Amino acid sequence: MAKELTQKAAWDRVLAKLKKNSLWMLHYCTGCGAIELPPTMTARYDMERFGIMPMVTPRQADILLITGYLSVKTLKRVILVYEQMQAPKYVVGFGSCTINGGMYWDSYSTIKSLDQYLPVEMYLAGCMPRPEAIIKGFSWLIDRVGKGEANSWRDYYENYEFYRKNQEELFGGPIQSYQDIPADAQKFGILEARQ
Amino acid sequence: MSVLSIVVWIIAYPLIIFCIGVLLGGYERKFSARVERRIGPSWIQPFYDVIKLMSKKTNVSHGYMHDVAILMLLGGTMLTLYFVPVPGFSYFSQFGDFLVISYLLLIPSLGMALGVGETANPNGSIGISRALQMLAGYEVPFILTFIGVAMKEQTTSMLDIIRVQQAGGFWAWGLIAHPLLGVAALIALQGMLNEKPFEVIVAPHEIATGPMTEMGGKYLGIMFIQHLIAVPLELTLYINLFLGGASNWLEYLVKLFVLWTALISVNMVFGRFRVDSAVKFMWKISLPLAALGVIGIMLNIA
Repeated sequence: MAKELTQKAAWDRVLAKLKKNSLWMLHYCTGCGAIELPPTMTARYDMERFGIMPMVTPRQADILLITGYLSVKTLKRVILVYEQMQAPKYVVGFGSCTINGGMYWDSYSTIKSLDQYLPVEMYLAGCMPRPEAIIKGFSWLIDRVGKGEANSWRDYYENYEFYRKNQEELFGGPIQSYQDIPADAQKFGILEARQ
Repeated sequence: MSVLSIVVWIIAYPLIIFCIGVLLGGYERKFSARVERRIGPSWIQPFYDVIKLMSKKTNVSHGYMHDVAILMLLGGTMLTLYFVPVPGFSYFSQFGDFLVISYLLLIPSLGMALGVGETANPNGSIGISRALQMLAGYEVPFILTFIGVAMKEQTTSMLDIIRVQQAGGFWAWGLIAHPLLGVAALIALQGMLNEKPFEVIVAPHEIATGPMTEMGGKYLGIMFIQHLIAVPLELTLYINLFLGGASNWLEYLVKLFVLWTALISVNMVFGRFRVDSAVKFMWKISLPLAALGVIGIMLNIA
């Protein structure tokens, strides 16, 4: 059965086409791999031609780019940063370490899989991914945003208990959060917007 | 002007200026990209940014003053806009001269100070204190240049100043007729537009974009819209005072883009001053130039 095109759905489709041209990126580069970003942004590969720009605070950013491994301590900060960002927001795991631990697969102090703790929109595999791979990955993300399919951020509102449980198991106790995620979901009508 | 055309202009004028602001903003980013040998974003990139920001799903507010002050920021700029004459629309300029404009120009800064104060972010507070310091830096020479122009033409009405310049042709342009005032105002304009070397308020590497630190979603979107309106507004002020105004839209746009190119070229080759150096530069270079210009006009020599 063909999907009925309501006025709101049509408007969303137009908005998505416009929104994909502007994605601001906050990079969290405590691991390695940040060295691949300067050539991606500057004259050699020029990320800005896709409308992707580095931004300096979580409130303004759309993409949270996490490069390399995350130790348990830094993950706590990443979660606080992620919760401060305004939805729609996309987490991009950069490098093998965010996927399965990479070369730190048997380390006691790093996390192995980022998507247990935050909803990841896209992984960029490689150790390190070259600027070409980064550009390719972001083009894929732009396409998904343009089609309105990049919805991983809803997962954090919908399955908040799952993520919170994993986080607290890892940290061994409740963590202090400055953003009330369930209340936000209620206030901005994110949960019912799906239906 | 008929009542209908005035109503149409009231609605259309901010939209037209916003569109020009988008083109100027896109041109600036494309220009800086070409200087750095990049391809750069689309010509209407600021438009995409505004659409993206205004369509964010969550917009965290920090309190009542945060909501109100951000509207004060935009409202103050739009109110100022109506008193600045452009070709075809100068109806409100007969009710408010330059003194009104110079008062209204302060409202956005105050709005920003109140709103950012509520967010309680230290970077934001530093940004605001820098903004007010810079205000003290560029406002004094800018007002002084206007006092000089007003003494020369014996009027404070912007329309009359444009009329005198257009009647006298190229040699009556403010920048040619009294160059000291023109140059002093140009330096002040660079500070007013927050371009390098006076880009101390939004210093991303030092204070994380200052006043915009805690702004996200629609709040940042409104700040962007305000900026896109304020840039053509302040350039138009300079064009009206020193570049002979404009008799039609083509001339207006050409002057706007030429002046903007000059300013962003300076922006491209300079680093950023420290805030005390920036204020010192304004008071040591721009202010004496403006004072000399005023003295010259008093003695009838320039």
